[in-house]
Amino acid sequence: MSRVFISFLLAFAVVPAFGQGSVNVYNWSDYIAEDQLKAFTNDTGVKVNYTTYDSNEILDAKLRTGRSGYDVVVPTASPFFVRQLAAGLYLPLDRSKLRNWNNLDPEILAALARYDAGNAHGIPWMWGTTGIGYNVAEIRKRLPDAPVDSLRMIFDPAVVSKFKDCGVMLLDSATDVLPAALKYLGLDPDSKKTEDLAKAAGVVKAVRPFIRKFHSSEYINALAGGNICLAFGYSGDIFQARDRAAKAKDKRDIAYAIPREGSLLWIDVAAIPKDAPNPANALRFLDFLLEPKVAAASSELTGYANGNKAAFALLPKDISGNPLIYPPAAVRAKFYTITAGTSDQTRERTRLWTTVKTGR
Amino acid sequence: MRAIITLPFLWLGVFFLLPFALVLVIALGTNAPDSVPPVALGFSLKSFTLLFTDDLYLAAWLTSLRIAATSTLVALLLGYPMAYAIARAAPERRPLLLMLVVLPFWTSFLIRVYAWMGLLDENGLLNQFLRWSGLATDPGTILGTEWAVHLGIVYAYLPFMVLPLYAVLEKLDAGLLEAAADLGARPIQAFLTITLPLSLPGIVAGCLLVFIPAVGEFVIPDLLGGTETLMIGKVLWDEFFTNADWPLASAVAICLLVLLVGPIALFQRQQARSLERHL
Amino acid sequence: MSGPIVRIEGLSKRFGAVTAVDNVDLDVAPGELFALLGGSGCGKTTLLRLLAGFETPDAGRIFIDGQDMTGVPPHLRPVNMMFQSYALFPHMNVAENVGYGLRRDGVAKPEIARRVGEALDLVRLADLGQRRPAQLSGGQRQRVALARALVKRPKLLLLDEPLAALDRKLREGTRFELVRLQAELGLTFVMVTHDQGEAMSMASRLAVMDTGRIVQVGSPHEVYGRPATRFVADFIGLANIFERDGSWVVLRPEKIVLSTERPALAHTTAGRIVDIAYEGDRSLLRVATDGAVLIVSALPDPSHQRGQSVWLGWEPGAEHAVIP
Repeated sequence: MSRVFISFLLAFAVVPAFGQGSVNVYNWSDYIAEDQLKAFTNDTGVKVNYTTYDSNEILDAKLRTGRSGYDVVVPTASPFFVRQLAAGLYLPLDRSKLRNWNNLDPEILAALARYDAGNAHGIPWMWGTTGIGYNVAEIRKRLPDAPVDSLRMIFDPAVVSKFKDCGVMLLDSATDVLPAALKYLGLDPDSKKTEDLAKAAGVVKAVRPFIRKFHSSEYINALAGGNICLAFGYSGDIFQARDRAAKAKDKRDIAYAIPREGSLLWIDVAAIPKDAPNPANALRFLDFLLEPKVAAASSELTGYANGNKAAFALLPKDISGNPLIYPPAAVRAKFYTITAGTSDQTRERTRLWTTVKTGR
Repeated sequence: MRAIITLPFLWLGVFFLLPFALVLVIALGTNAPDSVPPVALGFSLKSFTLLFTDDLYLAAWLTSLRIAATSTLVALLLGYPMAYAIARAAPERRPLLLMLVVLPFWTSFLIRVYAWMGLLDENGLLNQFLRWSGLATDPGTILGTEWAVHLGIVYAYLPFMVLPLYAVLEKLDAGLLEAAADLGARPIQAFLTITLPLSLPGIVAGCLLVFIPAVGEFVIPDLLGGTETLMIGKVLWDEFFTNADWPLASAVAICLLVLLVGPIALFQRQQARSLERHL
Repeated sequence: MSGPIVRIEGLSKRFGAVTAVDNVDLDVAPGELFALLGGSGCGKTTLLRLLAGFETPDAGRIFIDGQDMTGVPPHLRPVNMMFQSYALFPHMNVAENVGYGLRRDGVAKPEIARRVGEALDLVRLADLGQRRPAQLSGGQRQRVALARALVKRPKLLLLDEPLAALDRKLREGTRFELVRLQAELGLTFVMVTHDQGEAMSMASRLAVMDTGRIVQVGSPHEVYGRPATRFVADFIGLANIFERDGSWVVLRPEKIVLSTERPALAHTTAGRIVDIAYEGDRSLLRVATDGAVLIVSALPDPSHQRGQSVWLGWEPGAEHAVIP
């Protein structure tokens, strides 16, 4: 009763138009090729109400409020999808309705299964790595033999300190930076042990004086605009920065490197909210996403790897042959993922992260 | 007639009291991350106690209050002469000057903050100018410091300081200053004994209009500030979005509101007093 | 023998195209109650503000007690002013208002209290020291303003329309009050007024102003009895003004004798009563004669009728010739 009360009154809830012949899709902006949406409607007669967001937090708040009215959403696996899953926000998938399921890449499915046992609730859409973005010229000028493909770039004070003057930014995200710091220390990146996390925090604190800012999106503009020369962030974001910098008037060469110690794999997951008004159409839409040509067209648009193995052959060479987008097996073998942990662990981690960031 | 009287109360009830009651109900609940919404209703003061016992939150409160207070002071020191100059300008020029004060509101707040980022960046216009002019070869970066946060807040809220100050200064009878001068007051004495006390309602109103939103400010410290600037708005954001702890986030919101009701009540009392005094 | 308390030499002040004060020379002696009289826009208030230092002259000089005041800011002048609007400080109580000038001079606190008490006694407001101006009546405010201007015992007190904001009844009483205070304290008052009755009844001397210039200076008697110009004659009191042999003749209404028989006077004329205005102590009659309608002041007489034929007469000494 009380839940209904709160859900009902929270102004947050947006209820898109829904009906028999439609599906309400809430996705990242620029994340699906638009002609594919038309193709879906042509094929199935189901109208697509397509709305976009640009932060996981907004999606999270809407889903937690309840009655979001969406049929298909695309959260990032960690920490969002996994926490939403724990809160019981998603419908289990009816595999019998997903004829194209077998197109999925088993490797990515296995990685996603760490968050979603048996891949019961979500299908991997796009994925990428977490790594190091840098301004080639500025790094070379300061440290010609900089270990650009190592976590030492951001966690070794002797190295980072060289770049303090040209600017370093790290993600403002405990679930991305602390696991990387654990990895750097040779510890289990998924460790929830207090003493391990304290050590990881120690690593970040040691380099903190050389970090200009912790922020989860500003580094795109900052790298592209030449205001920083080094960032630890998501592959997709750094590609964006690279493309912008290349188009800018005073061209900057921005490069991306996957840390050789291992990289946290990020996966954006397509899933169906528990209270989806059109679950049947949602399944049809997911099955459509599993079609190789749809996934391939969207990868071409975004420049990200997709979780569809059958789509690989359809991709242009500059994507499928790019080791930063589709890394070779040896690099993939070192990908890691982390589990959600309890809400108390989340709170402890957030708190620890705040103390690290603010230097207390 | 009755409808006209009821309407404001209805408005207040639907758009202020009801949401406030909801937030209060959530704040008194406990975090239930595995339910929708993630709140178990009840009567628990846990969130409030945490908010005032945890040293990190206390630090955030203090930082917010300190930054809001210093920004308010700077805005007052900048805004007073501006308001004074406008109030003393030729009457036909005042509308133009006032329009210049509110002109920034014609563009989006966010865009203006981003513009400041472009000015204060390492390679921003300010540093470009300093390097080009030779005033500094290696200027530091203001962006990402508490200086930038102050700058942003003062910039964004200065009109809220200037307008109420202008309103009182414009009404100030110039004859009172002549009377003071006639009785032997030097211009500075006349200002301190006549203009300043009589513009006190404007000072209080302006300070509240700047201080109150500055305490809860989130966007400016997030975009212009550095990571070490921990303000209470950021705590609220973290609790709501990162920890998905709605009760604690709501408790922050309630405390902010209560914290700000105090000064407003004080202001209202002062207003009532001065009204009675001038009648 | 002491010199004038105020000496004004060739003083001019322009506001844009308007010359508010035009080459004015004037002396005021110590202990005078001097009135600047004129219609609105005649420059009397500007002249007062020049004396106080609120305006800077374009030409000419002002001496107060022998000191050249040209360019001296208001707060350094030995002059206090009572403003037409009173300009009481709304955020101070009566005692604080009155003591304001003393505090600026750094007078010791007990001394301030004593002198404020004295000043309030003088204007009969001793009990109201703690009130705010907003809590006072118009007459009380006027007296606070007076006390505030008097408390420093200035060499010269300037009064800008001191009675204009009072209602008529109060105005009458306050006239005498001001005259009494001025005499008691032995101060010099320079008062601006547009009300000729006020100026006549209060001032020891007055200056009539017109379009920035002083037209005539003299005692009320002189100005009334021997107006220098047609303007003064017309402005001060009631006057019959007519042309005779190329010059203007002023004949005051009370100098005309009204009777039913032809009076044995040098000038006589027959006429008919057009109008009667009964004023209690006198009646003002308009009498149509051969040449013009004359105003006549007479003792009230119920037998006077509109349309009645009467005789008017006056002595040659009652006439006064003026320049146009």
